Amino acid sequence: MVSRETYVVIAAFNEASVIRGVVGEVVAHGYPVIVVDDGSRDDTAAKARIAGVTVVRHAINLGQGAALQTGIDYALRRGAREIVTYDADGQHSVEDIPELVAALATHDIALGSRFLGKAIVGASQRRRLLLRAATTLSNRMSGLRLSDAHCGLRAFRATAAPALRLTQDRMAHASELLRKIRTSGLRVVEVPVTVKYTAHSVRKGQGALQAIRILFDYFFRMS
Amino acid sequence: MTLSGLAALFASLFAPGTSDPPSAAVPFSEQPIIRVVLLSGLAAIGYLVFLRRNRLPFHIVTVFVLLAAAAAAVLFPGATDDVAHYVGVGRGVDLITYIFEAAVLFVLIHYYTKFVELQRQLTDVTRELAILRAEVDRVSPPPPPPLP
Repeated sequence: MVSRETYVVIAAFNEASVIRGVVGEVVAHGYPVIVVDDGSRDDTAAKARIAGVTVVRHAINLGQGAALQTGIDYALRRGAREIVTYDADGQHSVEDIPELVAALATHDIALGSRFLGKAIVGASQRRRLLLRAATTLSNRMSGLRLSDAHCGLRAFRATAAPALRLTQDRMAHASELLRKIRTSGLRVVEVPVTVKYTAHSVRKGQGALQAIRILFDYFFRMS
Repeated sequence: MTLSGLAALFASLFAPGTSDPPSAAVPFSEQPIIRVVLLSGLAAIGYLVFLRRNRLPFHIVTVFVLLAAAAAAVLFPGATDDVAHYVGVGRGVDLITYIFEAAVLFVLIHYYTKFVELQRQLTDVTRELAILRAEVDRVSPPPPPPLP
């Protein structure tokens, strides 16, 4: 049974080609959806606007971290009890959401993991190695012991939201989240999820070079 | 240095030979072009600061003290050597380079901090606006887009 108080937050930037399919799938499973259009230059907002979806639109592009936080703020305003973050590029499976939410019965936050048994569909060997390296580095930085560094699919209780407030506007928000999980002492669990690497999601995703920028943001842009 | 000594020094720049110039002073006639350029630049900065005199008096005074020091260094290049020796630096040019580097770093960090703060405020405003508009649209939905 899907709760109407479990909000799915989707941050989208220039995803007009895929957003309707992704949003439609989530809405079909009964979750209220909040799409944050992060100042897209295409018609992402219009494409996302179907029944059951609220579109919140940034007037300018701020970055994924800022967009997620806007969606989380809005979900809290609407009385969310659980919040799920979900990528707009279609790499996640909506079937994984109930498992993440179920884990919140005993934990404050559930992180999707690509490396706990379920399939990674379509990932190159190079990408797997990159993800492994990112996970090792991320664990060293955050002090957590996780099997996957940054999977966009997560669920957390509304009560945990204040402790997890993201101030990193761009991609370093994922590392920031882990640090905040660690320092706040929230109960965290990993849940296996399926990630589908399509040509579209890989093109939109992060490569090794972007990692340098992310690390710069993480270490030097703390306000 | 007394006031009368300073006046004599100043006079000696424009009329070399009329009095006994201290070792620090290089006669103006020896390097006229670069000095005119530098002093004009300093005067221009002073004028711009004077135009923006709605700032705190403390800022204005600080800037004019710095400009006066710079002008003194232009008029008495040798004096920078004396100051450099006093603080333990070999040459006046080196001392000025060090001060300049430190000042540039300070300004850089100052503005970077401001920039980050400004960006944070921009995020807050954009977020507030986005949520506000979503709430307004929820209460009174916008008319559907015209059919193609």
